[in-house]
Amino acid sequence: MWIERKALAAEIPAAAALDTRQLCELLASLGFPVDGVASREGTDVLDVDITANRGDAMSHRGMAREVAAKLRQPLAPLAPPPVAEGAPQVPVRLESPACPLYATALLSLGTGGTPADAQAFLRALDASAKGLPAVDASNELLHRYGHPTHAFDADRIQGAVSVRWAISGEKLVTLDGVTRTLLAQDLVIADEAGPIALAGVMGGDGTKVTEATRRVLLESAWFDPKTVRATARRHSLHTDASHRFGRGADPAMATVARDLLVDRLRTWAGATLEGAWTAGALPAHASSVTLSEAMLVRVAGEPLTLAEAAEALTRLGCVVKAGSDTLTVQPPTWRHDMAIPDDLAEEVLRLRGYEHIPSVLPPLEGPPQRLSPDYRLRQALARRLAHLGFHQTVTYGFISPEADAAFAAPDNAPEGRTLVNPLGQEYSVLRGTLLSSLKDAAEQNLRQGAREVRLFEVAPTYISGPKGPGERFTLGLAWGGTQGGEDYLSPARPVREADLRGIARDLGLAALPEVRALGEGLFGFEVPVADLPRPGERIVPAFRPFSRFPSVERDLSLLVDLGQPYEALAAAMRAALPAEVLQDLRCVDVFRHKSLPEGRQAWLMRLRFQADRTLVGSEVDGWMASALAAAEALGAKIRA
Amino acid sequence: MDHLLPAEILEADRAFPVALAACADLDALLRLKGAYVGREGSHAARLMDLLKAAPKEQKRDLGAAINGLKQGWEEGLKARQTELEAAKKNLNALASSWDPALPPPVPARGALHPLNRLMDRLVEVFRPLGFHVEEGPEVETEAHNFDGLNIPEDHPAKASSDTFYLAAHPELLLRTHTSPVQVRTLLRVAPDLQKLGGIRFLAPGRVYRKDEIDPTHSPMFHQVEGMLVGHDIGMQHLKGTLEYALRALFGPHTEIRLRPSYFPFVEPGCEVDVSCPLCDAKGCRVCKGSGWVEILGAGLLHPNVLKYAGIDPEEWSGWAFGMGVERMAMMLSQTPDLRLFFENDQRFLGAMGGLD
Repeated sequence: MWIERKALAAEIPAAAALDTRQLCELLASLGFPVDGVASREGTDVLDVDITANRGDAMSHRGMAREVAAKLRQPLAPLAPPPVAEGAPQVPVRLESPACPLYATALLSLGTGGTPADAQAFLRALDASAKGLPAVDASNELLHRYGHPTHAFDADRIQGAVSVRWAISGEKLVTLDGVTRTLLAQDLVIADEAGPIALAGVMGGDGTKVTEATRRVLLESAWFDPKTVRATARRHSLHTDASHRFGRGADPAMATVARDLLVDRLRTWAGATLEGAWTAGALPAHASSVTLSEAMLVRVAGEPLTLAEAAEALTRLGCVVKAGSDTLTVQPPTWRHDMAIPDDLAEEVLRLRGYEHIPSVLPPLEGPPQRLSPDYRLRQALARRLAHLGFHQTVTYGFISPEADAAFAAPDNAPEGRTLVNPLGQEYSVLRGTLLSSLKDAAEQNLRQGAREVRLFEVAPTYISGPKGPGERFTLGLAWGGTQGGEDYLSPARPVREADLRGIARDLGLAALPEVRALGEGLFGFEVPVADLPRPGERIVPAFRPFSRFPSVERDLSLLVDLGQPYEALAAAMRAALPAEVLQDLRCVDVFRHKSLPEGRQAWLMRLRFQADRTLVGSEVDGWMASALAAAEALGAKIRA
Repeated sequence: MDHLLPAEILEADRAFPVALAACADLDALLRLKGAYVGREGSHAARLMDLLKAAPKEQKRDLGAAINGLKQGWEEGLKARQTELEAAKKNLNALASSWDPALPPPVPARGALHPLNRLMDRLVEVFRPLGFHVEEGPEVETEAHNFDGLNIPEDHPAKASSDTFYLAAHPELLLRTHTSPVQVRTLLRVAPDLQKLGGIRFLAPGRVYRKDEIDPTHSPMFHQVEGMLVGHDIGMQHLKGTLEYALRALFGPHTEIRLRPSYFPFVEPGCEVDVSCPLCDAKGCRVCKGSGWVEILGAGLLHPNVLKYAGIDPEEWSGWAFGMGVERMAMMLSQTPDLRLFFENDQRFLGAMGGLD
């Protein structure tokens, strides 16, 4: 909200002594940070950030109240010449509890326009002056005192006025020229022909004040905040009035604002008052709140006294009654955010200044909890992959249906993971796979000239279920381009599927995941993080005896068919050997050459045996024979 | 004579030297050889078909052109083959006898994502104060995301213009902050709170808001939530903890400043500024000359938040804070565009993320 410095000083004269910077700091210390300062109409205008709970501060007067309380300085008096009330000239019926109070006046307009200084004030606030005194005065009062008012063209109102719920389907053309179809939850001002204004939000076009207007009917009411908020939202109609009524206006200001408006129309436009009257009465005052010393001291963290608290709250306009160890506090009519003792404690601290809050570390009351195994596993996994040369990515959790379908499991129906209001089709499905996102990032890197791309992401993927999508932390990995060749020891070669299987093996996955071709020379796989081996929960695992006897290593060179799956052969060989002595079995070399029989390759298998005794050559020979026999059963032959 | 040759062959010939140089090993060279001079389907094979079909009077010129091309390709291939074979031998020789005068080969380096790195760091900073990590799902209920946090039923954040909802499950949404982890954790620990001696945790995670993608907005971003519940917890404890943590993060001379603010789930609420870590509070572009930068929002837990979880606010009290990870990362790194964090360019990741 814009606050003009001179207009603020008119409400709190002591503010004139502060320069703009000091004023900004003062407002920030009260909870109203200044986002920027503009220079308009020869004065500094402050863009003040006002939180949603402080509707009372949304005016120069409201801001002045805060400054006055902080500086312990008086506000300028607010005393318009009182308007004598009489019998209603137009009957006003309040038919809904959402409008308990409606002050009004009927005036005949004379000649004259909006004074230059009032126009300049409005322009400084980035509001336009219409040159119509009734409109400009209402607008000026809103910014100066915070209470929205409205002026109708009295000659265009038919019969009695009522404040009532709309009849569903009723139409109203609002001031912005838009035809609104109303709902039964919308509160309206109506005459006998139908709605003439959306209560607290915007006036109607049919009764608006124009240059031809001779008589005006003023409205200065109080509307229920929830009702106004709902109507503003329903019709996407957020106005200066709806902001203030929606956050809670000051009911005590309704008649004051009416009197101020009458006074301005008399002086600006030579208007004569035909009558003033009020329907309804002030809504019930918020009940008082009790603040105990214990609560005050607990929140403040230092021995503040109730007397200090009472003094601060009084400065904010509260009526305070002191008990033996409590205060009973009646908040002022303009504050709707002092409902519980915590609110009062905050007010005391705020006025005192948060800079006085002491700094204390809270005592430990229980032993710290451990980091969960899942969390630690993911941290370790990310570090491990980074050390293996992979870059961690962060990509959006929603992707296009096509990107999802390319890699997500076929039984993971996208319908259960689709957003009703996505940013666009390309961000509409909670992803069932990380591979599409990794593919995009990898291809982008390759297009940008990367020689090799190594990416991984650890993030949830979503699985449709009857109660909504389940989430499963998933590791996705992509690797492509040219590997090696960056130094004289490693030859350059394209990244191959086998490289990814090697990573999967290195991570300790029991079953190797399916490696997918993501693009030209680009591969990837994904696995649930839960499939990775977990770190043991014991701080030091239980002791397992190991053999100190020497191990025996033997090589076996086999001729096997091209296309023979390695895992099958290795498993068959392992199965043929006593598990307690076989320490390791692996393929250490692959040889393919035209000197070998057509369709065959040579694998050099290395086996290591160990036991709780020194092994004898003959028993190792026996095991090697069994291993060979198992390989032969799968079509392998010993290579001479 | 070139006018007799098809344009794509001429293009292939122009591309040949680059393709040849790009062959990093003999396998690649073999593939290139196949594509240019192989027996079937190669450029050379196509040219031979062309020659056969050509009118008699063109045959001589065309034949000469074709021979020129083929010869060029074959010579190139042969030279590269010799080179690669020599390189392989050289490689083997270097591998078997190490020359300590040469630079050592350096393994490839990866990197953690800068956002993850920053979140890890925050966890590290709070660990010694007894904080652990709590997590929650990204798909949340309205109850956990809003109601349990004292957010009024008609709050604008609930609108579908601000929050993503699921089509098949109207009650489910993508969490708009990490605060629902507060609600879940409090509900879970409420029965054991006495035995645990209260609770204190951080909740790092991804959150979603319906913002268009631009240099300062993203529909997905990260937050770190912090929460502490204990006996007689007041604003002094919030200030004390944040001062400790932010000094651990930015250095021992760091100052913090609390300013009143409002969030529905805390009372009193505040914004926390930290003395500008980039200019030592002397005033710079980042702190707009003020010496302070806003770093997080915080406050004492609103009694309704404790009550929702079945915890007696007369006995227990606490504080919470929430911090935007991207905002902080951008401020600290001076990254000009938020989108860079989600593009995942290896040059950015390598320079920004690194490894601790």
